[in-house]
Amino acid sequence: MDSIISTFHIDWKIIVAQAINFVIVFVVLYIFALKPLSKLMAERAEKIKQGLVDSKKANELLQKAGEEYKENTIKLRKFSVDAQKELQKDLEKLRAENIERIKKDEEEYKKKRMAQMELDKKALIESATKEVISLAMLATEKLISSKKDLNNL
Amino acid sequence: MEANQIKTTITDEGAISHETTLFAEPILHTNNFTFTNALVSSWLAVLIIVILAVILRKKMREVPKGLQNIFEVVVEGALDLCDQVTNNRALSMTVFPIAISVFFFVLVNNWLGLLPIGGLGLLEKSSEGLAFVPFLRGGTADVNTTIALAIMAVLGANLFGIFSIGIWKIFNKYVNLKALGQIFTKIKKDKTIIIVAPITFFVGLLELVGEFAKIASLSFRLFGNVFAGEVLLASMAAIFAYILPIPFIFLEILVGVIQALIFSMLLVVYFTISATDHDAHDEHDGEHEHVNKESIIINSNTA
Repeated sequence: MDSIISTFHIDWKIIVAQAINFVIVFVVLYIFALKPLSKLMAERAEKIKQGLVDSKKANELLQKAGEEYKENTIKLRKFSVDAQKELQKDLEKLRAENIERIKKDEEEYKKKRMAQMELDKKALIESATKEVISLAMLATEKLISSKKDLNNL
Repeated sequence: MEANQIKTTITDEGAISHETTLFAEPILHTNNFTFTNALVSSWLAVLIIVILAVILRKKMREVPKGLQNIFEVVVEGALDLCDQVTNNRALSMTVFPIAISVFFFVLVNNWLGLLPIGGLGLLEKSSEGLAFVPFLRGGTADVNTTIALAIMAVLGANLFGIFSIGIWKIFNKYVNLKALGQIFTKIKKDKTIIIVAPITFFVGLLELVGEFAKIASLSFRLFGNVFAGEVLLASMAAIFAYILPIPFIFLEILVGVIQALIFSMLLVVYFTISATDHDAHDEHDGEHEHVNKESIIINSNTA
C-alpha cells in the first residue's frame, strides 16, 4: 500500500481539494445550467404536447365542420331545388292569373273604346250634319242672292 | 529508462529532462499544502465549466441557440442513455445531475491535458539535473483526482441506496445479519440453511470488498487511459514533433469523451444497483414462482 502511495504520490489533501472542485462543478452546473434548462425543456415539452393535443382537436373539429358543410350543402341543394320547383309553380300560377287579368282588362278596354267610338261617331255625324246643313243654307243663300242679281239685270 | 517515466528529450551535458511522470508534479509549496500541476488544471477546468454555465444561464431562451443548443442535445442524449440504464425516469432524474457533472468535469480535465499550453512550465533542479515541470497536466492524469471522483461515486451510491431503500437493507447487503438470523428461524423447514446462510454472510463481506474494488477500478481505469494518452502523445512528439502527433491528438480527444462517458455510466449503474431493493425482487420472484407452481398443480389436477 505504501509503495502505491509513494509511486503515485497519493495525497489525501489533494484528494479533498479535487473533491471540492467536483462539488463546485456539480453545484454550479446544477444551479446555473441543469435546473433551469430542465425546467425550460419540460415547459417546452408540455407546450409541444399541448400543441399536439390542440392540433388534433382542431383537426377533428375541421373534419367535423367539413362533414357538416357537406351535409348542409346537400340539404341546401335539396332545399334550393324544392324552392325552385315551388317558385316555378307559383310563377306559372301568377302568369296564368296575369294573362287572365290582362285578357279581362283588354276586354274592358275594348268595350270602353267601342263605347267611346260610338259616341265619337255620333258626335261626328251630328257635326257633319250640322255642317252639311249650314253649307246647304249657305249655298241656298248664295243662289238666292245670285238670282236677285240676275233679276236686277 | 525507469518504468514509471519516459524521457522525451535527453542531452548529455546540461540535460533538461521532459519526463512524463506517473504523478502530478508539484509547482508550488506552502507550509501545509503542495500545489500540483494537475490541481491547477482542475481549477482551470472548474473555471471553464463555471464560465460556460453562467453564459448558458444568461443566454437561456425558449428557442435554443448556439451553446444552449449544444447543451440541450448533450443533456437529452445523456438522459436517454441514463434511462436505458435505470429503466426508471424518476431515478434517472435524480442520478442524472451527478452523472452529467462527472461527465463534464472528467471530459474538460481530459481535454485540458491535450492543450499545448502544457509546454509552459518551470525548470527544476533535481539529482539527475534540470527537469522541466509543466504548469498544466490533465487533471485526470493524476491518480488523486480519479481517486477523489471514485470515492465520491461509491460513497454517493451507498448514500443514495440508504435514502432509497433504507439503512438496514444497505447494512445487510454488506453485513448480512438477516442471513445469519435465518439459521434459527428456518432450520426446521430447511436444514440446508446451516450451509447457505454463512455463505450468504460471506458473500455480503465480499460485497464490502467489492466496493473498494470499485474505487480502485474506477480510479485506475480513468487514470491509466488518460496517462497512457499523454505518454503516447509525448512519445510521438519525441519521435517527430511535427504532424506525427496530430492523429494521436484526435484519438485522445475521442478517448477523453469515451472515458468520461464510461466513468459517468458506471456511476449511474452503481447508483441504480444501490437503489434497487434485491430482497423485494427476490420475494416478488418467490411469489411469482409460488403462483406458477400452484397454477401448474391446478392444471395437472384438471387434466
